[in-house]
Amino acid sequence: MRLIWKLLQQHISPGQLCGFFFANLFGMAIVLLGLQFYKDVAPAFSGGDSFIRSDFVVLTKRIGTLGSLSGSVGAFRRSEVDEVAQQPFAGRVGVFTPSTYNVNAALDLGGSGAGGFRFSTDMFFESVPDAFVDVQADSWRYAPGTPEIPIILPRSYLNLYNFGFAQSRSLPKISEGLMGLVRLDIRIDGRGKARRFTGRIVGFSTRLNTILVPQAFNDWANAEFGEKRPAPARMIVEVKNPADERMARFVQDKGYETEDDNLEAGRITYFLKLVTAIVLLVGAVISLLSFYMLMLSVYLLLQKNTTKLENLLLIGYRPALVALPYQLLTAGLNLVVLLLACVALCAVRGQYMQVLSRLFPQMESPSLLGTIGVGAAIFLAVSLINCLAIRRKINSIRLHRD
Amino acid sequence: MERITIEQALPRVFQDGRPIESEVWNAQAEFQKGKTYLVEAASGTGKSSLLSYIYGYRRDFGGKICFDGRDCRTLSADEWARLRQGSLSILFQELRLFPELTAWENVAIKNNLTHFKADREIDACFEALGIGEKKGQPCGKLSFGQQQRVALIRALCQPFDFIFLDEPVSHLDERNSSILGELVSGEAARQGAGIIVTSIGKHMELHYDKRLKL
Repeated sequence: MRLIWKLLQQHISPGQLCGFFFANLFGMAIVLLGLQFYKDVAPAFSGGDSFIRSDFVVLTKRIGTLGSLSGSVGAFRRSEVDEVAQQPFAGRVGVFTPSTYNVNAALDLGGSGAGGFRFSTDMFFESVPDAFVDVQADSWRYAPGTPEIPIILPRSYLNLYNFGFAQSRSLPKISEGLMGLVRLDIRIDGRGKARRFTGRIVGFSTRLNTILVPQAFNDWANAEFGEKRPAPARMIVEVKNPADERMARFVQDKGYETEDDNLEAGRITYFLKLVTAIVLLVGAVISLLSFYMLMLSVYLLLQKNTTKLENLLLIGYRPALVALPYQLLTAGLNLVVLLLACVALCAVRGQYMQVLSRLFPQMESPSLLGTIGVGAAIFLAVSLINCLAIRRKINSIRLHRD
Repeated sequence: MERITIEQALPRVFQDGRPIESEVWNAQAEFQKGKTYLVEAASGTGKSSLLSYIYGYRRDFGGKICFDGRDCRTLSADEWARLRQGSLSILFQELRLFPELTAWENVAIKNNLTHFKADREIDACFEALGIGEKKGQPCGKLSFGQQQRVALIRALCQPFDFIFLDEPVSHLDERNSSILGELVSGEAARQGAGIIVTSIGKHMELHYDKRLKL
């Protein structure tokens, strides 16, 4: 083997191999980094409101001055809901069911006996189908007849209290956990009937800006106490691609309004996907070019050594044995590239993960194994193609006089 | 391998309808193991072509060449490699040595494959052919006659049923030519192998069983 190598290393061009080596290293490193970065950053957007998987947009009718004066409620008709559901950008569509009964909530502080405070307020409930609720609480369930109602409040209410009211009045701040312990005394009445319930706050939502109760409860209470048929004034739409311009056009044409900035957050996710795709594409193109470069330089090498290869075959060397040094050379180079790309990946990831973990402290970091697996798969595929191409070229040398 | 048969073989370049007077081309010929043949030819009559067909590195011919009845065109690359390691040996007219390797390495590269001769046996061959002191020199620096002897030693470093010598003594003097003849016939006798020598005039002095005119 030593003699074969001595013979076949003639004409190896270090310049060409270096060029391939660095090009391939950059390509591989970019591909792996792009993949890993996407994997690392995506959970930051998929936690909580999970709008990386799908986006939700709340639609309302625009409230005009004339409408306010005439008392029009701006409710959605069934046909309008169906029309939205049929749009190409829309996935599932759900409506907000308002409460058509009276709700009064009271909170006892310091015990219900003498010396305690009692806050009381009139309020309302709304409900959406359970699939649209972004708080995954096990207690988000209501069986008709039970005295306890789970409630979800907008996260902005809690913030408003903690950072606005509590701050200015030197009151204690309340955590989400503490709110879960609070029991509200709820009184519902309508159609001459009344009933008491206990309200328990099970979570806070950033997606649904309302006081939410389970759909089952609201349907039951509307039937029991409601004074008129509930007319939905808001609609929640699952959007396949938040940057879909057809959606923006539809909303504008119909004179609807979107409620919050989920559209923006969705655009960021979409942008992230786009940037990742571009980075991966650039990496892949560099890798592909470097692969092409390696093939060219190996072909050139084989071409320059044609006579030697032919003579080796003629003195009885098997084509597989003659191809072996070049196959080892290319596979070895590819392996070194893979290892260095992995080292580069770890180093760069270490840097950006510091920044990411400051931005999203609660985020768990995905493992590197998947990305390294992809790298190994690329290495295997490229080396296999290299080896087959070399073998084919040697065979063509063997038969070139045919 | 016991016999090589040539059945109506003819190089494609000769297939233009010209009448051919040959005991090999477009005829039935046979080489048997253990016998010595001389193929005589004028230049341009396809002498090297014949060897390249039998040795499997050219296929531009019509007709058939068979090894013990098997058409040599049906052999795979690995089968050819096995034949070239253990059944067929050749001294190429153009030698096909590696100029960047030393004379010794040129022989070793073959012997490493076959492990047929001990180092001292190879040494003895170098000495016998008068190129003992050239072993360490790159082949490219040797004269053609010296290279011819190196190529012959390489050809002897394997077991064979047939050995082909394509104008083996074209650049050798009488003395070296007869040493070379003795080496080849000695090795062939030991192995019970056939010898096929081609020549355009000057030829190695051997006891030929048959002379064929190409």
